[in-house]
Amino acid sequence: MIRFENVGMRYSMGPEVLRDINLHLSPGSFHFLTGPTGAGKSSLLKLLALSHRPSRGLLTLFGQEVSHLEREDLPDFRRKIGVVFQEFRLMDHLSAFENVALPLRIANSDEDLIQKNVKELLNWVGLGNQMKARPPTLSGGEKQRVAIARAIINRPQLLIADEPTGSMDPEMGLRLMHLFQELNKLGTTVVIATHDIEMIRRFGHPVMYLEDSTLHTTTPDSYLARFEGM
Amino acid sequence: MKFSLLSKPTELQLEKDASSKYLPVVIAAMVFLASLALIGLFSINSAISDWSGAISGNLTVEIAYDKDGDMEQRTNDTVAFLKKVPGINEVRAISSAEAANLLEPFLGRPDVIESLPLPRLVEVTVDENSALDLLATATQLENTVPGAHLNTHRPWLDKMLLLARSIQFLAAAIMFLISMVTIVIIIFAARTGMVMHHDIIEVLHLIGARDGYIAKQFQDYFARLSLFGAVPGLIIAIIVMQFFNYLASRLEAGLIQPPTMVLEGWLALAMLPLLVAILTTVTVRWIVLSSLKRMM
Repeated sequence: MIRFENVGMRYSMGPEVLRDINLHLSPGSFHFLTGPTGAGKSSLLKLLALSHRPSRGLLTLFGQEVSHLEREDLPDFRRKIGVVFQEFRLMDHLSAFENVALPLRIANSDEDLIQKNVKELLNWVGLGNQMKARPPTLSGGEKQRVAIARAIINRPQLLIADEPTGSMDPEMGLRLMHLFQELNKLGTTVVIATHDIEMIRRFGHPVMYLEDSTLHTTTPDSYLARFEGM
Repeated sequence: MKFSLLSKPTELQLEKDASSKYLPVVIAAMVFLASLALIGLFSINSAISDWSGAISGNLTVEIAYDKDGDMEQRTNDTVAFLKKVPGINEVRAISSAEAANLLEPFLGRPDVIESLPLPRLVEVTVDENSALDLLATATQLENTVPGAHLNTHRPWLDKMLLLARSIQFLAAAIMFLISMVTIVIIIFAARTGMVMHHDIIEVLHLIGARDGYIAKQFQDYFARLSLFGAVPGLIIAIIVMQFFNYLASRLEAGLIQPPTMVLEGWLALAMLPLLVAILTTVTVRWIVLSSLKRMM
């Protein structure tokens, strides 16, 4: 479903922030992405989210090589990808309902379907009574759940989350992770960027870690073994 | 100013941008200047047409004084010749006494003037709708009556036309310059808006928005701003025109006429806010789409 072959990435004429990335994510898999700050996690997520193109190598998403995509094809591809940003990036002047409905409105979905799906999803993430609330009046956890609902309202095949539990207490973080697990069980491929070793230990999903701008894939046990005795 | 009053709320809250807040004021000033230039353009056109009509409608034949010639006979020959020319409505010889009276304020007593070697004059009125060839008629007249010269006022009219056309060209150049400056201002404001809303634009892209969807929010907002500026600018220009009209009409000078606008001129003025809105829409769409292409 997602394949990186010798992918490199740089910003403008700067140095390569990602080098020789080789990666394969099969449909319905769940991966953690980790690594020290500045290792290139956000850059890798940008490639996955079709926010940037690789500067070299081949990146194949949903069976299509990205460099061959026409600009007008990008929106349809992006609708297959859900992105949860670290800082939520909700629109403060829109209600929780309107924020979640936005991807459907942009895709010109039927209004009845929008009403039904958005209400259903907000209830599912536990925000059924906060539909009219605007983001500034919501707590960090509630905002994060609105952001997740917005990311999955289009039923994406790939869900990317950048430090989704970074700004919330452990209990709320855990609840969110269970939410991602449920989505994964429904067939969504999930990639979560995190620094949280405890989370990696608890959920036991394969780990991709970035070191010196290159990516390594390993089992959670092998990855955690690196920290033993520290 | 709340420009969102006439529109549904959009994801990009462009109305909160400081960069475009004063755009209506700038557009109003530009439309005001453009309207004045347009009024000038059409008024001069109208004036040229009036001068041309007046001058080519009233001609004078001058018969040079010849001490050996029969001036009365030549005058009669001239009148007889011109009466036969199709397209000439009226021919009237000005008598020596009448000419002397006309010159009295400049030269003194009429009885003395009558004794001076003055040319004889014939007043000619041409049918406005006729296709009379004045140059051919003048040549024929000169061949028929010795010393007769049909004064078509052409050299003077040509100079006036050249001056008027130059002013028209200047007005058109001013309008072009105003359009260019307006485009540059709009480009600057739209680009600033894009920088300020970069994060939201990125989110919109990532949730599947097409470039056209984002561009539409910019172009609709800027078109609204343009209209908010253009309409008052036009109204002020019309008020100023009416004021000049009033001042010019008080001068009671034949040549300096109040600015008169033909129907086409009024239509062009009425179209101006719409044209500015269209120009804004096209410019903003172009600049936003080309900027978005640089993003993935």
